[in-house]
Amino acid sequence: ILDDPDLKDIDPTVLKHCHAAAATCILEAGKQKADIAAISTCLEDCKLDKERIEQFCTEYQKNKDALEILLGSIGRSPLHITDVSWRLEYQIKSNQLHKTYQPSYLVTLNIENSDLGSHPDVSFSCTMEQLQDLVGKLKDAAKSLERASQM
Amino acid sequence: KLNIGVDTVQHGVEGLTYLLTESSKLMISEIDFQDSINVLGFSDELNKLLLQLYLENRKEIRTVLSELAPKLPSYHSLEWRLDVQLASRSLRQQIKPAVTIKLHLNQNEDQTAQVLQTDPSTLLHLIQQLEQALGEMKTNHCRRIVRNMK
Repeated sequence: ILDDPDLKDIDPTVLKHCHAAAATCILEAGKQKADIAAISTCLEDCKLDKERIEQFCTEYQKNKDALEILLGSIGRSPLHITDVSWRLEYQIKSNQLHKTYQPSYLVTLNIENSDLGSHPDVSFSCTMEQLQDLVGKLKDAAKSLERASQM
Repeated sequence: KLNIGVDTVQHGVEGLTYLLTESSKLMISEIDFQDSINVLGFSDELNKLLLQLYLENRKEIRTVLSELAPKLPSYHSLEWRLDVQLASRSLRQQIKPAVTIKLHLNQNEDQTAQVLQTDPSTLLHLIQQLEQALGEMKTNHCRRIVRNMK
């Protein structure tokens, strides 16, 4: 804003104050999920004229959804799983044990941490029975989700 | 009690250990085992005893040997929980469903537990991907390989 040619005649301190005030107002409105009526009333109390209030509200309405998404994504949460990769292998032998002949799965859960950007993925091996157990439990969770969303 | 020198006993034990672990590792058949020990020139009775020892213990020996192979952390179990986030410091009046998961893994006798989270659509994606993985063993390709590798 300080580099905008249209605004270069205004005192930079005043400009900063205006920017901060506008930002605070917008963020508070977004946080509280205020509707247009509430915002208008608030701005009227601040002695803004009708035209300015209307302009502000129109702009706010245009960007409301994006603002809510942004605000909703701020905050801490446990490490977030974004994807899964798997590998199926058939073990034949190791230097300690020959003729093992067992299928084995290697599963990697891709993890994203909003605070630090990225995080080492969680990898583990499992047998077919263990993978069936894992998938069974995940399906239970999904069924619960479906039931909860219908309530 | 055996009236033999310590060294002899030690060699005896080491020899026996080597014989049993190598045989178990290679999973050799009865006949091959018998042929191998016949060269040592022991009595028939001793050979029979050794064979019996091998057959009785090889499964357990193989289980122990399998622990020595290089391994990644392995799956132990999984707990899950459904959460709905209703509000946060930066945004009120939310409805944000999430699935929180506690994954228990084993690594070299230690058990670790990790808390992870995912959203409903990723959960469905995970299920779909892992079901595909399970289905792979049943394909013709895998079946053929399993058959031919015995």
